This record gives sequence, structure tokens and C-alpha cells, in this order.
Amino acid sequence: MKLLLKRSAVLLIFSLLLSLGLAVFLMKYFHSASAWVQYPTNKHLYASGKLVSSGTIYDRSGTILLQMIDGTIEFHEDKTVRTAVMHATGDLSGNVETGAQVAFGDRLSGWDLVNGTYRFNDRLSSGSNLTLTLDAHLCAAAYKELNGRKGTVGVYNYKTGEILCMVSSPSFDPENHPDVKANPKKYEGVYLNRLLSAAYTPGSVFKLVTAAAAIDNIDSIDEKLYHCDGKLQIGEDMVNCLAAHGEVTLEEALADSCNVAFARIALELGADTLQKYADLAGFNSSLTINGIKTAMGKAELSDAEGGDLAWAGIGQYTNTANPLNFMAFMGAIANDGVRVTPKILSDRGIISLPATTETRILSSKTAEKLGKMMRNNTISAYGEENFKGLELCAKSGTAEVGGVEKPHAWFAGFLAREDSPLAFVVVIENGGSGSKVAGSVAVNVLQAAVKI
Amino acid sequence: MSDFLENVKQLFEMYLTKAADISGSIGSFVLHFGVIAELYTLLVRWVFPILAVTIFLRCILPLLQDRKRNAAWGYLNITDGTRIPLRHWENSIGRSNFCDIVIKVHFVSRNHAVLTFRHGAWSIAEINSKNGVQVNGVKIEKPETVQYGDIISLGGVEMELVQADKEPMEVAQQNDTARYVSSRGDIKPGTTFLLILLMQILGGLQICFSKGAELNPAVPVTFLFFILTECFHYIIMRWCSRKRFEPELLCYLLCGLSLLIVASAAPDSIFKQFAAILLGLAVYTALDLIIRDLGRAGKLKYLLAASALLLLILNLTIGETRFGAKRWIDLGLISFQPSEFVKIAFVMAGAATLDRLLTTRNMTAFIGFSAACIGALILMRDFGNVLVFFATFIVIAFMRSGDVRTIALTSAGAVLGGIAVVSFMPYIASRFAAWGNVWEYADTSGYQQTRTMIAAASGGLLGVGGGNGYLANIAAAHTDLVFGMLCEEWGLLVALTAVLIVVFFASYAVFLTKDCRSSFYAIVACGAASIFLLQTTLNVLGSVDILPLTGITFPFVSHGGSSMIASWGLLALIKSADERITPGKRTISGEGD
Repeated sequence: MKLLLKRSAVLLIFSLLLSLGLAVFLMKYFHSASAWVQYPTNKHLYASGKLVSSGTIYDRSGTILLQMIDGTIEFHEDKTVRTAVMHATGDLSGNVETGAQVAFGDRLSGWDLVNGTYRFNDRLSSGSNLTLTLDAHLCAAAYKELNGRKGTVGVYNYKTGEILCMVSSPSFDPENHPDVKANPKKYEGVYLNRLLSAAYTPGSVFKLVTAAAAIDNIDSIDEKLYHCDGKLQIGEDMVNCLAAHGEVTLEEALADSCNVAFARIALELGADTLQKYADLAGFNSSLTINGIKTAMGKAELSDAEGGDLAWAGIGQYTNTANPLNFMAFMGAIANDGVRVTPKILSDRGIISLPATTETRILSSKTAEKLGKMMRNNTISAYGEENFKGLELCAKSGTAEVGGVEKPHAWFAGFLAREDSPLAFVVVIENGGSGSKVAGSVAVNVLQAAVKI
Repeated sequence: MSDFLENVKQLFEMYLTKAADISGSIGSFVLHFGVIAELYTLLVRWVFPILAVTIFLRCILPLLQDRKRNAAWGYLNITDGTRIPLRHWENSIGRSNFCDIVIKVHFVSRNHAVLTFRHGAWSIAEINSKNGVQVNGVKIEKPETVQYGDIISLGGVEMELVQADKEPMEVAQQNDTARYVSSRGDIKPGTTFLLILLMQILGGLQICFSKGAELNPAVPVTFLFFILTECFHYIIMRWCSRKRFEPELLCYLLCGLSLLIVASAAPDSIFKQFAAILLGLAVYTALDLIIRDLGRAGKLKYLLAASALLLLILNLTIGETRFGAKRWIDLGLISFQPSEFVKIAFVMAGAATLDRLLTTRNMTAFIGFSAACIGALILMRDFGNVLVFFATFIVIAFMRSGDVRTIALTSAGAVLGGIAVVSFMPYIASRFAAWGNVWEYADTSGYQQTRTMIAAASGGLLGVGGGNGYLANIAAAHTDLVFGMLCEEWGLLVALTAVLIVVFFASYAVFLTKDCRSSFYAIVACGAASIFLLQTTLNVLGSVDILPLTGITFPFVSHGGSSMIASWGLLALIKSADERITPGKRTISGEGD
């Protein structure tokens, strides 16, 4: 029978195949059951396409952003607030992919892995509630500051990762859904949360990446001087500056946003080094915010040389940046080089979610140096009196988008304040000057944010 | 510090809300009678998976722990004084390490001879050896009977056949008693059986509660009858059988699940399903009694093969097409699927005793029979069963020949044939079209699979409670999508247990092969297990889009009479290979005569 025992192994192979198939199913199950369960024909959760029950969504201070009363979804009573947080909560028809109603629909509907859709006694229980890290009134203030212009404002705590402000414009009042198709220009990409899902040409804010690479890789960078006479010819390409800055150090070049100096630095660093620092800063990868993936910023520099590389170093090559990802880079500079992944769900309470991921992306020394330069930017370029008491460290960007369109206005940075460890990003599409347009939005939002 | 106070405050607030919830629920408990049903579900959905897993473990552990060797049926005394026990009815002798009796002498061939014990007498057959076999100095030409005291000589090695000192059964009995006393923690099948009954009572009540006023009175009645039947069968087994009956207990468990599924999805036919279980038990008992004698089993094999061919021809001529496959015969009162019964014949047709297996490498008859069966199934467009039969053919053919190359060639041929079939028949091709991305065809060709996955996800690990699912409303939910129904109503844990039981049956069959008396039983056990395994694979993985959906039943669980009866028949085949004895049993059956 030994012979047959050996031969019967073929049966074990078959049972292995079944076990393997079962394992694949289980992996799929644990990964996607929350998505399967939300299919609109699932009668456990939906009656004629509408959620039977939904939990309440709160902001960080307990303000109700969304609740279900007698089978209908109701938003915050203030129109500005509900418009400002529309991208965070989602609208009534689930158009916003990253909105809580879609992204956390499984939890709002009361589904969990152990109990499935089972609810003990339908009359007494509803879905589970969610608390977001957002501050409703800060969002409303930021939305007002944008004043109808397309763009986004994000503020987060770079020590805990909590996102306090997440506003994307254009938006609309979810209780009075406008006819989006009738006005395509006004509502261009209205269902997109620009903080999470957009990617813009970064322009000068990318100089922070180049500067980080320079600090680490160029010998005695502090003393080194770069010559700028207003333009630089590289092969057939010409890099221009607004003015001839003369002999500038790295710090001065950053404050003056001197294109020529940064073009020279980029050429000196080479494509590979710049690529490495772009990847570290979060380009070419997504962040996952409580399971929501951000859009990926791009920086493909490996083939760039000469003029292309020079343009890349000042953020005007083919690079794009996702606002939230860039904000997290600001947070990393502020937080000693360690990036705390932002989060939107508050885990205060009895059961805490897994700890926020922390990744070191810059050395502590580099982060400190870069932070000081950004502080210097405020003092010598943006004007400390405009940002009183904020201890602001920032970099502006005016990203040319080609053609007759006005440039995108970027303003990103952080507060070097122990009591308000906040990093932020403001992008205004075709807004014009970064420091003036985006900077003035930032100052008002930040002044409100430090009071929370 | 303030953080701490904040946390305490939150904690307090949370308990306050919880307390309000609880007092609220007590209030409505008094107000609404329906809450009793809900409270019952709340409890049962936790108890049910715990019971299922416990029963599963209590059944498999004793079967796998029982590492006792078979008693010796006789001995071979070699001239150098070694005494070799003959532990099987069929013992291969040779130089190869895979022989039951290994003789490492140069003049002995790799597989030299087979010593067979049949009807109380020993006989020896030579298998294409170089140096032949002599009995008492006379070279044998054909299988010869060997008496106790005779000298068998293989390539110069002389051995004397000696009678076992005691009746083999007594030896076994002694060993057994010793083991029984020593292991106090022995898992008692009686307790396991009670747990199974408890599970079925709890499950049945859950269905009654959830259906409320719409309850079909046949449901509780059937459950009552089913439990009585189980008790009756259990007591009979306990009295009459010397074998362990954990496999039967596992099948009770699966049958119980099947009744729960039918009670939820098709309560009108629950009594029919119960009748199928009864018939299945009858087939099981009959087969078990017949094939325990190898001679009878050998005759039955031809009878069954002949009737199988007849059934298939009948099916092809007067068969009825349902759901795209012509696999039904309608006799007015009842209709059945012949292919299910052919499975038993198919497995038995492939079995052979060790002497035949080693002497005649020829499997023409079996290959011919297999080709006829598979061909008929292709004509019926029953492609799921084509796969089941083919895989089982591979298992049996490999066990008989051990020839990897032939098997590989056959499989390659079959795969090519399969590709040809798929490219010529749009009906199957359309099933493959949705395969792997059913969500893109969620409301058309991927309808059943997506609904199964939605149901499985809705159930979570514990299920929403029997009778509370929505998959039950979908066609074929209680047959092809039964895994989804188990997941939704009773939870992923219970559904997984059901699948693992089948996986266990396969390992059990392999495990039994080692100590099996005859290769005949080893082959039927592995063949039957292979059918269980393949059906489960296609049913479960097909319904959740890991494999294409083929419309195959889950053994013992799916709704369907033919499948249920055939499953019990196949279980008898697996059990035939189990020679071990239940602790504390006195009965000695007449195996030797």
C-alpha cells in the first residue's frame, strides 16, 4: 500500500488547489467585502437605491455635518458650512468618490467584517457614526477666502496627522444640487476633491525639493554663491528670472525664488539625485488617507538633461504635484524630517485605529536647515508683518501653465509653533502671483486655524 | 491630564448612551413580541459558528490521531530469523522502497511478487520478475495458493509463511483496549453527536423565528423527523459497526446545513430533501454491506458499470434539458440526474486489487468506460461534471498506473480539447467572458456571482441569521450558490467549515490508503474523495468568481435529491477503506471469509 500512498498524493494536489482558491477568495473578501456590500442592489443596506440607514458624520468639535432623519439625509444647517465640507461628506448621489459617504459608506451603513450587515433590532440601531478631524468653521472660512475661485486649501497638524481644513472649489450646496451640466465652466471638476485628487504644475514650490537635495549633496553649500544675470542659456533653452539677482547663496536664491540659481543647482545635482529627492518628497507615489488614495504627483526626471533638467529644478518641467502630498512634505520639513501621514478620521474614543504611519524622508539636519530658509523667506520676501504671530515658514509658487492662462498660485509651508503645529497648502488655479494671491488666503485661514 | 479627563468623560458618555440603548431595548422587549426572535438571532449567530467549528475539530482529531497499525494477518519468517508481519490483504514484495515488504537483495526485482489473502487463504502471484517465484522449490507459472509452513523463494531469498499467533481481530482488540484505557482525553463521538443535534435544533428554531407567520409547517416537522432519523442511524451504527463514525457525523452536519438552506430558500421542497437524505442513508448502508467483501465488490463493479452506461444512454435519448444542460430524466412523479449516480459506478469501475494492478498495466476497459461517460456528459452539455469526471479519472488512472507521462499527455490533450470546445460553443465561451471580472457584467452574465459576493459580504463572519438573507430569492441560490447562502445567513465561518470538511475528506482518504487492506478500497476511497473535492471546488470557487460558474452541486449541502443520494453512496466508498476499529467494540465481522 506504500505504492498507492505515494500515488494518492495527486488527490492532495487537488485539495491544495481548493485550499489555494479558498485562500484567494478570503484575501479578496477581506480586501473588498466592504465594497461588495455597498452594491446598490444589496437589500440589506439599500431600498430602491437609497441607504436604509446611515450613521451621523461629526466634525472634530461634534458639529453634525450629515445625519439621517426619518430616512432622509440632512446636512449642516449653515449653507456655507455644508458647501465647504461637501467634498468631505459627499453629495446625495454619491458623485464624490472620496467623500465620506462613498469612502466610508461601509462603516456609515453599519457594516463590519464580523457582523456583516446584521443589526440587532432595526428599530433601535442605525449605522455607525463617524467623526472627522475637520473643523467645520475653519473649512467655511477657507471656502469664503477662495471666494469662488477654483482651487483648494488644506491645513493639517504635522504631529498628529489630523486634517483640520480640507476645502475644494468649485463646490455646491448639497441640499440644492445645481445643474452641473448646464454650466460646465463654472462647475469644472466639481465632484473632484482637489486637495486629494488633483495634481498641478508645482512651479517654484518645487525649489524646496531641489534645495533639500542641494543641502545634502553640494559641498559647503552655505558659502557657495550662484551668479544670476537675469537669464541663463542652456543649449537651446533659456531660463529667465524676474530680475538679475547677482551673486546669491542658496538661502537668498530661495527667498528671491531665483530661477537661474536653481537651474544651476539642478544641473550641478544631476537628474538622478534630483529624482531621488523628488521621490522622497512624495512625488510618483500616492498617500493613503484612511484608505482614500490621493492622486499621484509626477516627477519623471531620469531622462531630463540640459534645459529640461534646469526647468525641472524649478518645477516647470513635466512635473505635477498633488496638493495634499505636498502639504505632507511641508509637514515633514516641520517635523524634523518625519512625515506623518495625514488622516481624516478621528480615532479619539475607546477603540483607536492603527497608529498613523510615520516615515522619515529627510534627515533631521536637512529638515532644520530647510525650515530656517523657509522662515527666512517670510521675513525677507513675504513680509513678517503680514503673518504676525504665526511663525510662518513658507514658499510661494507661481506656476506657469502655458498659453494665455494666468499661472497657478501656490503657497505652502508650516507654522513653527509648538502650540499650533500646522502645515498647509493653498492652490488657486490661474490665480496669479503665489505669494500675493495664495498667500493672502493662507494668512486668513491660518489666523483662524491657530485659534482652534 | 486634561486629555485623560477628556477620555474619561467620553467613556462615561459612551456608557450613558449604551445604557440608554439597553433600557430602550428592554422597553421594547416588553412592547414587541418580535424582539424575542431578534434576541434569539443575536445569540444563535454567535453559538452557531462556535458549534460548527467545535464539531469539525471533534470529528477530525480522532480520525487523524488514530495512528494504530493494522493487526498482522500472518507472518513471513526469513531464514536469517527476521519475522515480517503481513499487515494488508495485499502485500507487494520487492527491492523497491515502495513495496510493502522490502527485500534489499540484488536478485530480487523491484516489484517482484504480490502475496494476497483472500477468503481465508493466501496466494502468491509473480509480477514480471527476472528470477521468478518458487513455492516449495517449484517455480510458479500462475498465481499459486500458499499453505502455512510453505517455503516461498524469491531470487534466492527463502521465506516461510506463518499463521498469525492469534486471531487478528483479537490482537486488534487487545491493542485497542490498551489504547482506550491509556488515553483518557479521548473525544467521545456521543458528545459530538449531541452537539450536532443541538446545532440543528438551534438552526431550525432560527428559521422558524425569522419566517414568523409565513412559516411552512413542513419545516419544523421535517427537522423533527430528520433528528429522529439521525438518532436512529446513530444508535444502529453504535451497535453494529466496529468502525469509527466521525465521517458520518460530519455528513450529518452538512445535511443539517442543507435542510437549513432549503428551509430558507425553498421550504416547499424541504420534505423531498429529507426523503433524499433517507434514501442516501439506505444506499450508504447497502453499499457499505456489499463492498466489504472484495469478491462481491468486484462483481458489483461490473453490474454498476453496465447500469451506468444504460442510464447515460437513457439520459441522452429521453433526457430533459434544464438550465442549458440535458441532465435530467423525468419519470413523472420524480425526476433525477443520472450523472450523479454514474459517479459511484465510475469510481468503482476504476478500482483494482494490487495483484491485478501490478501484473496487468492494461487499463483499456477503464479508459473506454471513462471515455464513454465523459463523452455522454459532453453531449449532455454538463460541462461541470465533465471536469469532475475527468479529474477523478486522473486520480484513479494515476493510482493504478503511476505513470506521470501518460497522465500529463492525457491532461494536455484534454486541455486542448477543452479549448476547442470553448472556441466552438458560444454558450460556454459566454461564461468565460464574465469570468474574472464579473463586476463589469454585474447585472447580466455576472449576476449570480456578484449576488453571491454581495451576500457573502453582507453576512460577515457570523451571518445575518438563518432565513434573513436575500440571496435565497435568486434562482439556483440553494444549489449552485449555496456557499453564498451559507455565508449570508450563517456566516463565513460556518461556510468555511463546510468546505474544510470536504478538504478533510480528501486528506482522510489519503490517510487511509496507507493502512488499507486492499488497493481496491484505497482506489475507491481516493476516487470518491476526488469527486467530493472537485464538486466543492467548482461549486464554491465558481460561485465567487475564482473559477467560471459551472452549475455543480456542493456534496451533501446543495438542494437536490440525486446529488444527496450519490453523496452518501460515495461516502460508503470512502468508508470502505477505513479498517480501524472503534474503541471498546466487541463485534467481529467476517472479513476473512
